[in-house]
Amino acid sequence: MATKKLRTTRTIGRTIAAAGLAATMISLAACSGQATPDAEDGDVAGELQILVSSAAASDAAFAAVNDAFMAKYPDVKVVLSSVSNDNYPATKSSRLTAGNVDIFVVKNFAEAPDYAADSVSDDVLLARSGGLLDLTGEAFLDNYTQSVLDSQAIDGKQFAIPTGLSYSTGVYYNKQLFADAGLEVPTTWAELENVMTTLQDEGVTPFGIGGKDGWPAGLVMLGVAGGELPTTADKQDLATALWGQSAALDTGVPLTILEKTQEVLDNAQTNFAGAGYDEIPAGFAAGQFAMTPDGTWNAPTIAAAVGDAFEIGYFPLPAGDDAVDNASLNGKIELQLGVAASTKNKAAALAWLDFFSDPATYTQFVADSGFSPAQQGIEGTEFLNSIAQYTETFQPAWEQVWIANNDAGQDAVYPFNYPALKPLGTSTPQQAADAAQAAWSAAF
Amino acid sequence: MAQTFPFPSRNPVRISFATGLIVLTVFGLVPAVAVFVVSFTDLRGLPYLPVNWVGFENYVSFFSPAKRADSMNALWNTVVFATVSTVAQILLALGVALLLNLRMRGRNFYRAVVFMPTVLGVTVTGLVWSLMFNVTGGPAATVLSWFGTSSAFFGDPQLALALVIIVQIWMVMGISVIIFLSGLQAIPAELYEVAAIDGASGWQRFRSVTVPLLAPSITANVLLGIVNALQSYQLTYVLTGPNNKSTQVLSLLIYVQGFGGKSGTTLSQSQGYAAAISIIQFLLVGVVTIIALWYLRRREAKL
Repeated sequence: MATKKLRTTRTIGRTIAAAGLAATMISLAACSGQATPDAEDGDVAGELQILVSSAAASDAAFAAVNDAFMAKYPDVKVVLSSVSNDNYPATKSSRLTAGNVDIFVVKNFAEAPDYAADSVSDDVLLARSGGLLDLTGEAFLDNYTQSVLDSQAIDGKQFAIPTGLSYSTGVYYNKQLFADAGLEVPTTWAELENVMTTLQDEGVTPFGIGGKDGWPAGLVMLGVAGGELPTTADKQDLATALWGQSAALDTGVPLTILEKTQEVLDNAQTNFAGAGYDEIPAGFAAGQFAMTPDGTWNAPTIAAAVGDAFEIGYFPLPAGDDAVDNASLNGKIELQLGVAASTKNKAAALAWLDFFSDPATYTQFVADSGFSPAQQGIEGTEFLNSIAQYTETFQPAWEQVWIANNDAGQDAVYPFNYPALKPLGTSTPQQAADAAQAAWSAAF
Repeated sequence: MAQTFPFPSRNPVRISFATGLIVLTVFGLVPAVAVFVVSFTDLRGLPYLPVNWVGFENYVSFFSPAKRADSMNALWNTVVFATVSTVAQILLALGVALLLNLRMRGRNFYRAVVFMPTVLGVTVTGLVWSLMFNVTGGPAATVLSWFGTSSAFFGDPQLALALVIIVQIWMVMGISVIIFLSGLQAIPAELYEVAAIDGASGWQRFRSVTVPLLAPSITANVLLGIVNALQSYQLTYVLTGPNNKSTQVLSLLIYVQGFGGKSGTTLSQSQGYAAAISIIQFLLVGVVTIIALWYLRRREAKL
């Protein structure tokens, strides 16, 4: 009996040990990741992993492109991963390290000026270190506007395709509410102040902003910066002066930008600091506010939310005192797609880029995504045509010119410290500007 | 020897312990040492990029004048978060455990309800409370509207940290309650009977019988609470985002530096810098835990 018990105990012990060992082996094996099925060199087949940062309209547009691509190349399975902007860097990093992404969005993809040589973006470094496939000379690049390609060239080489352009310094407005209040589209700061006052008097909230996510309030700052620094040269001069310590963040134009940003925030809906970006289209459609600062990338979403309820208009946030300074929307090159040098499916990746760049595919993509075309001769959407007067000359937004300093504190990241403004933060414009200057100057 | 040893052979024990040791070494010790080494480099989050040895530069940068305000803000938020959430959680959990230790109908159901938030996980918890505190039509906003007031809740820099602490307590209190309950059930009923015969009041029985015999449970809960609170960032991230200064705790700063970059800026990921902050955090957690353990053990001995 005793022997039986001992043997039973021994068996149980060994079983537990074996199970533990097996579990460990399985866990370790699982950590090695799932390999993407390889395609033979030259064959457009196998699995193609695409990683993009998320926006509702562009996600749908990419999905449509992928469906069409798989219809043309039935041996390819395209897997689209779309993650939020905040989570994108971490996801990209892990996917690249694991080697299971073929095409992905590169960010801040422009050469840094000499004064910011130590703040070169990760993706530019990645390109220079051989982590991105050199696309220079690929035939599909010929479809894109040369000036756009020039602005994203790294050491004279092309590593990505620009999926489009978008404008971030404009304001959507409810034409019905404007008409009811007898208002015209404002073209100067004084006129915008009048619009805000009139709407308040009419009991209408002027602006709707999704402040909880932070960056939507930053669009106001970009709009104000666009009016205060209307040309690319104006922006570059200030950026150079700030890096050279000949300009300060607590006085002059930087302070004015914060003061005007504060004025817009003061005219936003109650408790906007707790409202999410995704809640704004519904509020705008419901007539809870007359205007919302947002990018052109969100036009399809806003149009879908509004439906036939009223007509939508879009104008540059008129932060400058002179109408000429507010005549253009400022923008950026939208999601730039590069190919990982470690791709296991180069043939399919290049075939996808070629397919995407085809004018027929691309026309549908810009229609679905709301992006402005980065190719010549592509018909824009009705909405984009309606704002053509503001986009005749492409002006980069402040964030496209400004290079953040990795050595500076968080208050000087943008560097106009809008997150500190009430009610997002607890500061007045002067206090926010002082904090930005302190965080900036201490980095040198 | 063979009679006292629970297994007839040492081999299963050796294999089991060896397995555990290997797992702990591979997934715990090696990464910990690697993080320490990485803290002296400029490692970024992407492959192909060169890695350079930068010595103490990351540590100097953390305390540099340019970043001091951010670092001190994160440290202060961490201390407030850990202190308030741990103390409040212990007190609440003790009260709930005492209540659930009484004989009452549906006691097991109530225990399950109290423990349920623990199994929901951070994402579900974050989603639930984001909806609860939604500024446009959420339950909390509706209640405030009955009193003619309103709030931005997680968007209010004066309120956000307090709300995150409340959610943290809600989420982790179940574990503390279970530990307290197991401690309470281990206290012999005779001791309460003797104390009652001696004329001890309810408070005196609690003070002189329950608390001393519950001391090991209090120690375990305090230590778990401190370590958990000092390392927690997921809830803060889900509820208020990664870059909200009013709720940015040290571990969230590590995440943002190491993995987050900063949306809409050219700021790079810096896993070397993040590793340096995590070593500083490790020291903070270690020192606080050792002091707490020393104090609580001494107190246990006194009681």
